[in-house]
Amino acid sequence: MSKVMSLHDAIKTFVKSGDSICIGGFTTNRKPYAAVYEILRQGLGDFTGYSGPAGGDWDMLIGEGRVRNFINCYIANSGYTNVCRRFRHEVEKVGKMNLEDYSQDVVMYMLHASSLGLPFLPVKLMQGSDIVNKWGISKEVREKDPKLPNDKLMEIENPLVPGEKVIAVPVPRLDVAIIHVQKASINGTCSIEGDEFHDIDIAVAAKRCIVTCEELVTEEEIRKEPSKNSIPQFCVDAVIHVPFGAHPSQCYNHYDYDADFFKMYDTVTKTEEDFKAFLQEWVYDIKNADEYIDKLGASRLTKLKIVLGFGYAAKLVKEAK
Amino acid sequence: MVNYKNYTNKEMQAITIAKEITDGQIVIVGTGLPLIGASLAKRIFAPNCKLIVESGLMDCSPIEVPRSVGDNRLMAHCGVQWPNVRFIGFEANELLNGNDRMIAFIGGAQIDPYGNVNSTCIGDYYSPKTRFTGSGGANAIATYSHTVIMMQHEKRRFIDKIDYITSVGWGDGPGGREKLGLSGNRGPVAVVTDRGVLRFDEKTKRMYLAGYYPTSSVEEIIENTGFEIDTSKAVLLEAPSEEVIKMIREEIDPGQAFIKVPAAE
Repeated sequence: MSKVMSLHDAIKTFVKSGDSICIGGFTTNRKPYAAVYEILRQGLGDFTGYSGPAGGDWDMLIGEGRVRNFINCYIANSGYTNVCRRFRHEVEKVGKMNLEDYSQDVVMYMLHASSLGLPFLPVKLMQGSDIVNKWGISKEVREKDPKLPNDKLMEIENPLVPGEKVIAVPVPRLDVAIIHVQKASINGTCSIEGDEFHDIDIAVAAKRCIVTCEELVTEEEIRKEPSKNSIPQFCVDAVIHVPFGAHPSQCYNHYDYDADFFKMYDTVTKTEEDFKAFLQEWVYDIKNADEYIDKLGASRLTKLKIVLGFGYAAKLVKEAK
Repeated sequence: MVNYKNYTNKEMQAITIAKEITDGQIVIVGTGLPLIGASLAKRIFAPNCKLIVESGLMDCSPIEVPRSVGDNRLMAHCGVQWPNVRFIGFEANELLNGNDRMIAFIGGAQIDPYGNVNSTCIGDYYSPKTRFTGSGGANAIATYSHTVIMMQHEKRRFIDKIDYITSVGWGDGPGGREKLGLSGNRGPVAVVTDRGVLRFDEKTKRMYLAGYYPTSSVEEIIENTGFEIDTSKAVLLEAPSEEVIKMIREEIDPGQAFIKVPAAE
């Protein structure tokens, strides 16, 4: 059954305000930005966000006040913005959002545990650190919020190895996973090239999964090499063909990050005013993903295309000294 | 005439990092200086070292300088592209199997005399003056691997009590890690700063000055360290050769993504 939809309809159908959401990709790599822009445009919010290694995706949602709870482990457009600035602004100056910290490893384990359907997760991580000692979201707030477990974690003894201290961590339940992949069939079978990051985990774990793709192909075509496929069709609810749907982040074997865009984002996120103007120009005044790539322009996007064999837009032209 | 004698503290720091790597070791690198240092080690000091990153990319051999640990520049030409959870499992199994072949680089905003590191916030956690990214991969790395900690050497960063412990070093001293449920067979081995290199006393687990750069001095380091520091074992470190500086500037980071070349005089 074809699950091909417009991005507008997919977000409208499968994302609800108040949802618990996880976004795929890694800081500046394969982030489903087109879908994030559409969420912003549709005014959805009040989310509980599981960050994974987050970047501008969550920074924009946080900056626009769309996030109620943020389960953080890392948020940076690495190499361009060392700590995302609207996140910083929210935490340092506003303080409205509930913020919880885990180590990145534990968040990745939590998402994996969710995909495995485990009841809880015992780890030998974070021990002795303030990640254990200080709860960003208090038990009181947690007990009143249906999207949050009552406890951040519990220090317990390993029931099978007396005397061994371990940390028990709750396993999240996700409403929505949003990922961008290189290739998807019209039915939702996905092929991810390069590192999968936590994308397969969240696609399996979430109640609903939205996939944007660089290339949309027939089911017959994607089944030519099943060993390259990593998400079966029944884990996917919507397939949207969005070339450059991860821009300004990278998409392995397709395009590199847009360094100028990330530099611009670094600059505009320094003030609330410039950030709002940026979103107006690049998100709200734009109808859809087609208008977005038209605005970027052909030569700009062509320059981001990877050099085959390198996997990125290698600098092959040496500058004269 | 290109000048390779005008090395900077940052270049010296990258070279010091490179020399911390033993040939054949598996090196957990982050982007920035550790990657420059590790690239240098792979070319000169430890050609058989293997680079891995927390995104799960194993046995990396980047040609261009990556901006992030998930960068396609690390993804291309690597041995295996694992998801992050396998990387964590690998780190854990190295400890569980009694292997001792990993070294890792982590950074921080504050550090205490026992190598406990803060990379979360300055000020109160609940109303921070400055908020950083949070742990990232650092906490697990400090749990499972020997670490070299990268710091800017400033008095406000080297302090007795840090605002938040993101990654545990030697805890509160001898036996400190074991008390917390961590392995005593892992822990910080060095702190590499823009002024010198510090190590940890085997008995007391307290930081001491092991070496200082020709561009720095023992006095300068005492002045820029917020706690009492033993300098009795400090030696003057060698200035880098012109070949090494040339390699950093022309081969490893020609775009000056992480190390700026000083302007010609």
